[in-house]
This record gives sequence, C-alpha cells and structure tokens, in this order.
Amino acid sequence: MATPSAAVPARPRGALLRWGRLPTWFRYLVLLAALIGIWQAYKSISGVDDLLFSSPRDVADAFWTGWREGTLARTTWTTLKILAVGIGIGALVALTLVAFAALSQIGEDLLRMLVAIFNPLPGVAVLPLALLWFGLNTNALLFVIANAAAWPIAINLSTGFKTVNPTIVAVGRNIGLSSRRLITDVLAPAALPYAITGLKTAWAFGWRTIIAAELIFGVAGADGGLGTYINNAKLFLMIPQVFAGLVTIAILGMAFEVLFGVLERRTIVRWGMKTST
Amino acid sequence: MAPLALLKDTRDLPLSGSTQDSSLRGEVPAATATRANGAGGSVLSVDRVRLGYWGNRGFHLAVEEATFDVKARERLIVIGQSGSGKSTLLKAVAGFIAPTDGAITVAGRTSLAPGPDRAVVFQEFDQLFPWRSVLENVAYPLRVNGWRRREGAARAREYLELTGLSHAADRYPHELSGGMKQRVAIARALALEPVILLMDEPFGSLDAITRARLQRELNAILERTQTTLFFVTHSIDEALILGERVVVLHGSPSTVREIVDVEDVGPPDSPGYAEMRIRLRELLAIEGEDDGDA
Repeated sequence: MATPSAAVPARPRGALLRWGRLPTWFRYLVLLAALIGIWQAYKSISGVDDLLFSSPRDVADAFWTGWREGTLARTTWTTLKILAVGIGIGALVALTLVAFAALSQIGEDLLRMLVAIFNPLPGVAVLPLALLWFGLNTNALLFVIANAAAWPIAINLSTGFKTVNPTIVAVGRNIGLSSRRLITDVLAPAALPYAITGLKTAWAFGWRTIIAAELIFGVAGADGGLGTYINNAKLFLMIPQVFAGLVTIAILGMAFEVLFGVLERRTIVRWGMKTST
Repeated sequence: MAPLALLKDTRDLPLSGSTQDSSLRGEVPAATATRANGAGGSVLSVDRVRLGYWGNRGFHLAVEEATFDVKARERLIVIGQSGSGKSTLLKAVAGFIAPTDGAITVAGRTSLAPGPDRAVVFQEFDQLFPWRSVLENVAYPLRVNGWRRREGAARAREYLELTGLSHAADRYPHELSGGMKQRVAIARALALEPVILLMDEPFGSLDAITRARLQRELNAILERTQTTLFFVTHSIDEALILGERVVVLHGSPSTVREIVDVEDVGPPDSPGYAEMRIRLRELLAIEGEDDGDA
C-alpha cells in the first residue's frame, strides 16, 4: 500500500502566506483598502482644494446621507426604471427583427444592414434627435436606451439561433415536438448563451448611455436620475455628492456583473454550454 | 446470434466478463414490436425508393433505387462505404427527407413526418439536450408524448437502468463520456418504445474498446426489448455482431447490391464469421489489406 505522503510533494516554505493562496474576497478587500488609503493620503498631504477633490471620508458621509435621506436612492431608482423599460423595448424590437430574419431572407438582410448601420453608433449620438422628436422628457431617454440596447440583443440572438446544433433540432423533431415547442423548448435554451451575452452588452451600453444622456439633459426636479444628481451636485459645488454619485454608479455596475455571473453559473455554465471564467 | 449477458456497467470488468446483473432480471419493459404489426409482418418497407437532397452544387442523387423490408423484431443492418447514401436512407425513414420516387411504409403508413415511432440514435455525441439532466433527457420526450411527469420519470429510470446509467441520472450531458452519452441516447430512444429503432452509426465516434462494449450491450438490450432495429454502419464487423440481415449498398448513387442473411454466422472467431466477412468485403468492393474495421 502506498503512503499518501509519498505522492504529495512537500509544500514549499512560506507558501501559506502567498498572495495567491488567500481567499479572493480578502485579496480584493486589501487592494480596496490600500486604494482608499492612497486616496486619503493624497488628500491630506497635497492639500488640494475641497472644491476640486473630496476626501474618502466626506464622500462616505455624502453617500451615507444620500442613501439614508433617499435622494440617492430615489435618483438611482429613477435611472434603473428608465433603463429597464428602455432595454425591454429594445429587446422587443430585437425579437421582432430576429423573428422576421428567421422567417425570410429579406428579413435577414434587413437585420444585417440595420445592425451594421446602428450598432457602431454611440447611444448618446441620437439624443439631440430624440430631444427634437419627443421633447425634454423620459420618452426621449427611453428612445435612446432602446436604440442602444436593441442592436446588441438582435445581433447576438440572431447568431444564437443560426448556430444551434442541427442534430439537436433533428432530435426535437424526432421526438414529436410541435413547431411552437421546438422554439420554446429547444431553440430558445440552445441560444441562451448568446441571449445572455446580448443582454449583458445591452445592459452595459444602456447603462453608459443613460448616465451620459442624463448628464447632458441636466433637467432638475423630482424626476431626475443619477446623471442629473451628479450634474446638480456639481452646479451647487457639492463635490462629495458628485463623488457619491460616481461611487453609486460603480457599485451598481459591479452588482450587475455579479448578478449576470450568478445567472450564468446557474444556467449555461452548469450545463457546460459556457466554460466558467 | 450469440446470447450475451447484459453488462450493466462494465467499466471495472474485464472485456470477456459476462456477469448477469440480477437487477435486470425483473421488470424490464417487454417486447413492443407486436404493437406495430402482426408477428412476422413487415414493419418497414422500402419500395423502389430513389433519394437525393439539395446541396451546394445542386441536387445530389444519393440512392438510385432501394427495395427491402424489415420484419417485426428483426435487426436489419444497412452497410455501405461513405457516400453510399446509407445515412440519407435512414433520414428518409425517419421522415427528415422525402423520397424523390418510391414509397417508404412504416407500420402501414406512408409519407411520414418525423415522429417518435421511429426514434433515432445519431452518431453525434451532442444529440442530448445539454440543459437537461440525464434523467430529464430520457423523461422529457415521454412527457412530450403524453406521459404524466411521475410515470415518465419512473419509466425513464427503468430505461436508464437497462442501459446501466442509473448512477448518472442527475448528471448533465457535459459531465459524461462519449460512450455514456450514446447510452443515454439509446435509453431515450428505447423508452419511446418505437415501432422501429433507427441508429445512424451510433458508435462511429467511439474508441474501439468502448465501441465493442456498447455493441455487446446493445445486443443484450435488444434481446430483452425485442425492438425492431434499422442500423446503419460502414463496419462489417458491427454488421455481423449486431445484425440478422444485411443490406449492402453499392455505388454512388447507390443501389442494393445484395441482401445477406447473417443470423447464423457464429461468433467472431468461427470459420463462418470469417467467410461472411470476406463475402461482405467483396460485395462492398473493398480492396487491399484487411486490417479490421470494427
């Protein structure tokens, strides 16, 4: 019988303290603390004006107050709501186009052409037109978001459906699936990796677009979103609030990354349709 | 036909070992071929069928003319070299393509759409639904065909046991080896109790050892279920191990060169087997050294 110790090589000395062996969350926490430390140190040593640069402490205060009193929570909610509806509209437009493309050659050509024209266009670029058409209101924002979201979703879904493994479709027909169930039970899950990629890209485009649009918008009032919040804070020289708005944007961005990560691990990673990253 | 014991899971057993698994003596689903047609009647009849498909370079004629039939509980092998249209023939029986001429009749019905009465096992490993567990891959087609969830799952478990996969019921396809994936596909097809089971080189992508094992297992399983088999291959040995009659396709576009009875050729080391092997090689017009193709 072989002894286990013979097979396992001796651990190198000092390996326990190696950076790479520490838990991931801990490594990021240490880095974050270091960054905040440098930030605070710069603020203390350089003596930079409070109107240009806030200390992490002031930012934390503004962040905390903003969430407790509801100004940040309200603006964040407004932004997310518009974003969700905008992406929803974009997804519907994309689905319609993809369905049309799946049914006819002319539909496919149309989809390809539209994607080629509109996908490279930065979302905010259509804002002036949107303002002209819809006026200075939420509808203009929705239009801009829907436009930013529709194209990545359309291109990914269309690729997803086109690359579905023909054998699995043959199996679907062989076991007696109706056309409707073939779409919902075979084609849809088979195209899921692409659908998720499309949604991720749509979210990223939409998120950047809505913040930028709100900054340009600059409308005040109860309806303003996060971009408006930052813009207003700048106007009134409340610099810690400007930073707090940015921190909120960063945290939300990370939160959605995590959310998509969980969604992927529960579906396409678990099913071996995408390798874990 | 050599009676071979059903090897439930042979991974740890020597190749020659034949252990009768006690768990399989019980309620393995009984013969279903009788459902299709009266005993001895023909379940599948291929009558002067001409077949082709549209490819990149226009219409490609694959089968010039083919006529044969498959009787209930029979195991028919269609053999031919690559390009002989044997897979096209299977696709036509499955209902994926319509014959240009002639008629394919299954259990008395012609011009059929694809359906579970002709369950197919494909060559590709990725014929399983990756988003469904092994059990669900077998149970879902049953639900599609009117089984209730609970009964479907129970039946799926029965067939997973038959193919020696009970231990893998909750795994996902990407966690399985190629041989296991093909066994799931076989369980899925058999659970549907097809009038005729269609297999398109199901072991063609497996390594030689796994292929030999799965051939033996399939033999034992079919012995139990008495399923009528339509099996396409280019391997003479596979045809002799699994088949009762062999349809030899020849040429491109192909015709049926001969239909050979191979039920009594004996085990692979017998003189009858060797003789038949030579005969089939001649019919297939394979030239050069015989280096084995199983």
